[in-house]
Amino acid sequence: MPDTPAVSVNHLTKVFKGTLVKGAFRAVQDLSLTVKAGEVYGLIGPNGSGKSTTMKVILGLLKPTEGDTSIFGVPSSEVASRSDVGFLPENPYFYKHLNGRETLHFYGSLCGMRGAKLKERASEMLALTGLEDAATRRVGGYSKGMLQRLGLAQALIHEPRLLVLDEPTAGVDPAGSRKIRDLIIEFRSRGITVLVTSHLLEQMQEVCDRVGIMAHGRMVREGRLEDLIAVENQTEMVIENASPALLAQIDALVKAAGGDTRLLRSGHPRTTLERLFLEATNEAKKS
Amino acid sequence: MSDATTSSAAAKTPKVRFSPQRVWTMAMATVTQLIRMKILAFLVLFCLLAVGAGFAFSVINPEQQLSLLKSVTLGALQIFSIVIGVVSTALLLPKDLEDRTLYTILSKPVPRFDYLLGKLIGVLMLIGGGLIVMDAVLSLILWMRQSLLFDEAVEHLRMEKMDSTEAVTQVREIVAKQGLTWNLHWAVWAIFLKATVVTTVALLLSSIASSTLFTIVIAFCVTIIGHGEALIREFFFTPNLSGMTGRAAALLLAAICPDLAQFDIVDSVVNGEIVPWAAVLNMTSIAAIYMTVCLFITHLVFAEKEL
Repeated sequence: MPDTPAVSVNHLTKVFKGTLVKGAFRAVQDLSLTVKAGEVYGLIGPNGSGKSTTMKVILGLLKPTEGDTSIFGVPSSEVASRSDVGFLPENPYFYKHLNGRETLHFYGSLCGMRGAKLKERASEMLALTGLEDAATRRVGGYSKGMLQRLGLAQALIHEPRLLVLDEPTAGVDPAGSRKIRDLIIEFRSRGITVLVTSHLLEQMQEVCDRVGIMAHGRMVREGRLEDLIAVENQTEMVIENASPALLAQIDALVKAAGGDTRLLRSGHPRTTLERLFLEATNEAKKS
Repeated sequence: MSDATTSSAAAKTPKVRFSPQRVWTMAMATVTQLIRMKILAFLVLFCLLAVGAGFAFSVINPEQQLSLLKSVTLGALQIFSIVIGVVSTALLLPKDLEDRTLYTILSKPVPRFDYLLGKLIGVLMLIGGGLIVMDAVLSLILWMRQSLLFDEAVEHLRMEKMDSTEAVTQVREIVAKQGLTWNLHWAVWAIFLKATVVTTVALLLSSIASSTLFTIVIAFCVTIIGHGEALIREFFFTPNLSGMTGRAAALLLAAICPDLAQFDIVDSVVNGEIVPWAAVLNMTSIAAIYMTVCLFITHLVFAEKEL
């Protein structure tokens, strides 16, 4: 089924029933989206925009009020739809009494894995997420970043074709956050489809092929990231070692062109604070 | 995506069915969790204290000593198996939801029924394991105490110069009746069955309620009412005792709460009465029926629960 999308959401509406005090709450309104197999799709939006509710409906944890969702063509209402999914919830917690390796064995067993195959896969996932040294430590003593990476490892344990990540970098330091982003890029290179939500737009920009922007339970924008963020009527040039004379010539040429053509700004491009932080902390580590 | 694509993909994807292996994985994880919470150690420690207390009271004769030892220990086992069943079950489900562990489990190909059954079996395995250990300890102590008391009683008869064969045989019969017999194991089995029913009720309440405290309080109320089903029936069938509303309430309570008095054979065992096989079979069948009904309702509720 090469054309079957990894995730399909059709006219999804989710209304949470009200109580005597509070009325019903419409979390998602007529939402439709499609995540193609092999792509990284970012679902972004402010708090309460319906991202997590949408994910829960896709995973069969919530039932849709209207519409339907499916994973690789299998309706989310069927348990079988979860055979090919790995899910990392926001700020995940695992059984504190288990260590990292036992946690992966537990989740692997739930997926029907056994014996040498399970052990091998658990070791592979611990290595992939950089948790080999902490494999025998109780999960109760893990830092937030380690929990997040263990969450990724458990999500991947049964070799799913789709990963659903809810705020994967929430509360993680920049280095841990970078590691998770690198992993997402690696998953894409392995052909794993990723559906990810995050508030950190810059991070989403780095990893997503397509994004959907949600607000008040509705999809307000959707498309390829490059298309969405390109400013159509502006052109950017980055010149290395340009002399003041050359810059003056360029400025003169732009003015000479007349019409609506204007030089809006020129100056030194800036690095991001995150990149600066990572460089500085890596330098400190080396020295 | 067309409906045809969806239905063809759904047809090609194998159905996820009930898996004993998956249930076993959940059950073992639950047992490990509870053991590492030191719940079993607490049960064993308390029951050992209860055994000690069984020796502490002043008594008149060997029969009374053995009877008291059984009464105190079996009573303690009964209370604590119910407390552990209710509290563990009430804690585990909401905790999984609160910690989002439930999301990571149910987002795998795990049917909700497998999860529920695994949790229940895990708690029951812990209670069962604790009861087996305590049964073994109590049996050993009872056997040792029985031998000791018999020797003491014979020695006493000898000193009183009343140690005729008939008198010794009579003492042996009395001590044997109150000592270690199969009845003790049946009493422990009845305690386990009662704890099983109460734990399943707690699981049902836990799947409905969002508060642990609510589950615990209601489960204990059900347990107390369940012990008084005979009174409720009497109230219902005696027309002069109340009006229609009272009788309807009594009927409702009798219908909702399991009749836990069905498992009350501890007093008979303490009194040295013989528990017939038929009674054991009857108790086991009743517990199985209660458990099946409760688990079925729990599954219906939990399958529809929005997480």
